[in-house]
Amino acid sequence: THSTWSLPCATGLLLRSTEQSGHGEQRASPARMPFGRKQLPPIPKNAAPITKPSPLGTPMQSANGTHASYGPFYLEYSLLAEFTLVIKQKLPGIYVQPSHKSALMWFGVIFIRHGLYQDGVFKFTVYIPDNYPDGECPKLVFDIPVFHPLVDPVSGELDVRRAFTKWRRNHNHIWQVLMYARTVFYKINTTDPLNPEAAVLYEKDVQLFKSKVVDSVKLCNSHLFDQPKIDDPYAISFSPWNPAVHEEAKERMFTYKRRPEDHHKVSQASGLSWVKPGSTQPFSKEDNPPQS
Amino acid sequence: MASVVANGNRDGQSLVLKGVDPETCMIVFKNHWAQVVKILEKHDPLRSSSALPSLSVINLTASSSGSSRFGPIPGDEASAVQNYVEHMLFLLMEEESGQAGAMGPILEFVVMENVMERLFVWSLRREFTDDMKLEQLKMYEMLVGQARQPLLHHKPILRPLMMLLSSCSSTTAPAVEAELVLLLNQLCYVLAKDPSILELFFHTSEDQGATNFLIFSLLIPFIHREGTVGQQARDALLLIMSLSAENERVAKHIAENTFFCPVLATGLSGLYSSLPTKLDVPNEEWHCLHKEDWLQMPSLIQFLNSLEFCNAVIQVAHPDIRDQLVSYIYNGFLVPVLAPALHKLTLEEVMTTTAYLDLFLRSVTEPALLQTFLSFILLHRHENVHILDTLVSRINTPFQLGIVSLALFRTLIGLYCEDVMLQLVLRYLIPCNHMMLSQRRVVRERDCYSASAAKILALTPSCCSPDRSPPPLRQLDSILFSKGGETPDNSGNTEEKKSFSEENDGSGNSCTIGSEIYLDVSYLHYLYDARLSISSCIRACQVWSAPYDGEDPPPEKYQPAGSCVPPGTDPLPVNQLELEWDDSYDACPVQTADASAERGPPQPPPAEPPKHIQEMRRTARMLVKGSYIEENDFQDDVMVYDLIAKKDSGDVERTGKPSGSQTEETKPGSAEVPLKNGLNLTVPSPAMVDNSSNSLDAKANGQTDCNANLQNTTAVELGDDLLAQYEELIRTLDHEAGGKPVKADGEVKKPITPVEVVVVEEDEMDFASFSAETPEPEKLHSPFGTINRFRSGSATKNNSLPFTGPFISVLLSRLENMLSNSLHVNLLLTGILAQLAAYPQPLLRSFLLNTNLVFQPTVRSLYQVLAIVKNQIEELAASKKDFTELITAAQHWLMAREPSGGSSGSNHQEGGRILKNSPPPKPKAISLERTEVFATVLFTEFLKELAAIAQEHSILSYIPMEE
Repeated sequence: THSTWSLPCATGLLLRSTEQSGHGEQRASPARMPFGRKQLPPIPKNAAPITKPSPLGTPMQSANGTHASYGPFYLEYSLLAEFTLVIKQKLPGIYVQPSHKSALMWFGVIFIRHGLYQDGVFKFTVYIPDNYPDGECPKLVFDIPVFHPLVDPVSGELDVRRAFTKWRRNHNHIWQVLMYARTVFYKINTTDPLNPEAAVLYEKDVQLFKSKVVDSVKLCNSHLFDQPKIDDPYAISFSPWNPAVHEEAKERMFTYKRRPEDHHKVSQASGLSWVKPGSTQPFSKEDNPPQS
Repeated sequence: MASVVANGNRDGQSLVLKGVDPETCMIVFKNHWAQVVKILEKHDPLRSSSALPSLSVINLTASSSGSSRFGPIPGDEASAVQNYVEHMLFLLMEEESGQAGAMGPILEFVVMENVMERLFVWSLRREFTDDMKLEQLKMYEMLVGQARQPLLHHKPILRPLMMLLSSCSSTTAPAVEAELVLLLNQLCYVLAKDPSILELFFHTSEDQGATNFLIFSLLIPFIHREGTVGQQARDALLLIMSLSAENERVAKHIAENTFFCPVLATGLSGLYSSLPTKLDVPNEEWHCLHKEDWLQMPSLIQFLNSLEFCNAVIQVAHPDIRDQLVSYIYNGFLVPVLAPALHKLTLEEVMTTTAYLDLFLRSVTEPALLQTFLSFILLHRHENVHILDTLVSRINTPFQLGIVSLALFRTLIGLYCEDVMLQLVLRYLIPCNHMMLSQRRVVRERDCYSASAAKILALTPSCCSPDRSPPPLRQLDSILFSKGGETPDNSGNTEEKKSFSEENDGSGNSCTIGSEIYLDVSYLHYLYDARLSISSCIRACQVWSAPYDGEDPPPEKYQPAGSCVPPGTDPLPVNQLELEWDDSYDACPVQTADASAERGPPQPPPAEPPKHIQEMRRTARMLVKGSYIEENDFQDDVMVYDLIAKKDSGDVERTGKPSGSQTEETKPGSAEVPLKNGLNLTVPSPAMVDNSSNSLDAKANGQTDCNANLQNTTAVELGDDLLAQYEELIRTLDHEAGGKPVKADGEVKKPITPVEVVVVEEDEMDFASFSAETPEPEKLHSPFGTINRFRSGSATKNNSLPFTGPFISVLLSRLENMLSNSLHVNLLLTGILAQLAAYPQPLLRSFLLNTNLVFQPTVRSLYQVLAIVKNQIEELAASKKDFTELITAAQHWLMAREPSGGSSGSNHQEGGRILKNSPPPKPKAISLERTEVFATVLFTEFLKELAAIAQEHSILSYIPMEE
């Protein structure tokens, strides 16, 4: 069956609440200048001043020099960075999208294209600890517990921690977790299983194991069109193929080139260059009109 | 015939003819013509030599006098002809073309009988006055504009038209000119619509023996004309220009046989010379020419019109014409006119030229023309110094010139031009010598966890912590990460709010980011701006030739010549406070293998700042000090006076020594004295000198003497004996200066108050000035210039020392003095740095924003300078009791200024008014003189801005782009 899902929107997460209010601070800015407003944005019109005392009480805790009140910004941007890394990896058969509500929760789906779990379409959710990247490794929970030695038969959680015993910033990234989630379906590991039954069957009776897997895959796929488990505008939902809706979307997907300039058109024209590639001399391109 | 036009009853006539059948029209036309011919032949000198008594030639031409060539024509006959022709023309105009585009019968008759030419000869035969020309032109204008069938294809119509045009070429009467240009304009429209006529225009002109393509040549003199005539001429020329793009012959003709391009380019020079050489600067925050400024200046409007026209020509014309024009503009305007203008002797003149240049750069849009201006700035050498280097050095001049120069660079950086950025910054970063060798890989490293942003924000002075600000300044809110309720664009989705509280999905996974923490909402705006600014920069830079990522261009290939210090070893320390002013002259251009091949022989770095720069520096220095006493050599009299005038005109207040004197404006009190060298010099009136000497902090004794001297000078009748008095003055000063020991205390002081900054700078500058200007030949010819001598410790600041270029250097130096800079300098400065930081090139980005990058010890980083400023602020805050209060007042002031910012003239009086009217809490009034307070507020905001840019870079620069 054909299905559609929406492509993740990489960087629209945080900033949707800000509007481009026409602050005109610098009358200085002449027409061409993109400098526009600088510093001290006006008080938001409908935002009443907060009179409630700051919960922090005392000014500036600067533990290791970091401004406490900016912590959430750092976290959000770290997650955005992680997300762009995922996009860059182009993991085969894996699609994720951060939730609308929180950058700490990502919705995903994985398509298994061959092997024991062939044709499986498993939806999952990634939960990232809020002290990321200094906490433990993210959790990955399947919507429906897949029959698999490393997937908890009750909660649907994949045993990720065995692959990332200690989550190290700069070394470990969320795409690796997703990659791992894919690998487990192609290369079955039965040591220290979360689902002992599956592990034992795989070791002792592969045929039965296989048929259980087929049943599990069928079960998962039969719930594909269910409402998303978590109500969120960005939750991944499937619907039966409907040419009226999906044909056009499909068309767009095949012609769509994801480039920043397509996302937000700004009036600023293109830049300028007369530098010959491989040179560092200004105006070294040959098609320059002669100056003297 | 003319009166018809004059009566303006064109429409009325056409109505009359409606419904009349063509045959009747033809008969009427023929009858009229027969009557006309009778009269014409009667007066044809070839047929009849009868000379009748003289009468007034024609009713309309009352002003005409004198006798006609072939004897006078009786008035009744003239008006008879006129009446007939009038009707005939209407018949012709109203005639529809025949079947399949054939000529209508009347037109055919006109062509066969050569009606138009005979009429033209008839009018020549009589007195061919301006009025006559005017009428003839109007007649053709009407025909060309309103005829229902194409007329110009027919030589019998075209030829007399061309004869008429060429007979008008020498006219000077405004009315005739206006009509001529209008007709030419109309002809060009016809040409543009139907290029097939073009051929005929060429041929006709040949017949005539006049300049080929007459209508074009006739338009050229009107290129730079102001008003409607000029505009119509330029419009018409533009039509021909776009014709030229498709028609090789037209292009070739214009480029080779006309003076179009030279006239256009030299006209710019002419118009430029009529611009004011000194602008009346409205206030000290003024830094560039806005539309409301130049709309007040007719000469500037006219110049911009012509510049705009050049821009338009370059846009539409054939490449041959474009190249020729661009070359003429370069060699006929920029080099001979603008370059010297940029090197005039007084600060005001140079400042004015700089402001013009900035405006021109902002007005030009066509890449080829921009390229011309830019290559002038980047490559042209005036007195052996690149214009760019001169401009960069001026950023550090005090007062208006420095601000205007900053504004110019804001424009330059905003062009997203690779060549500009290469020369300003990138070429110094390409060799990667500014960082430790091991750090090169860090250049492209991604700051995944906003570490740099955190480090930058951690520099927030404790007195400006978001928790300290009282409402409404504290824009803290919790709207940010809980996307449920409060987000303004959330279209009333109340469901979401509910679901948000049920965030925990049962599996105990908390997905809440910082909802308990109140966040600085203004930071969101910075993030948003950063995102826009970076993404448009990234997009613009896609046309660049290289990524500048520390690998391409390869650092190894572009090592500076004579680099002997291996990266990693610690070079000799260089005084942190050394003045960037000097750096631009011994900064080595990156020598590359291909450089010499591409650009001819490598030019030796100028050993010494050229004369004009020395002059400028001296003037600036004297201004800073508020005294010129140390000068031992007044080569330039203008400067002496200009200096005093400048000083008196209120700069005293700015240097932080306000006293009781409310000094008057300079202009009214000063006298313009023409000097023998043709320069005008502004001499302050005695009263003003008095004033200034009283008001100045009399720290130098000699200064008062000096003022006294000048007072004498100016009090005496200025005139022939001016020079004698100069000599007297110079003698006195020489004497005083001669005995003065050279100060060389390279004491490093942290500039804390404006006064102290001045002192520090002054000490160093003194030394430079003394060595540089002592007229001893061996000093002048020293290989590294004289500047190097006062650099403590280091023998030379030569090529081998890592150096990030004069531009960065001068910006950081001004930033370091942030606390003493005026608010507007700081706004410009932080704006420029923020714009630089938005560039996506890893070399630049890592240099400005990566706080983890380890630089060579001699290289100053932005972060380092910010840390210095932070410390200055902390010291200040600790030493002043009311500092926090002042900060609040400044924040209020800036906040109040914000909404009024868009409207004109938001000077500080106005801001003050708004402040008074603003609702409680009533903040304390604050004077703009408290630069350190405003700087502290701006500094805090600047940190947020930079941090936001750093954060957005970590996302935007890494979004993969598919091919």
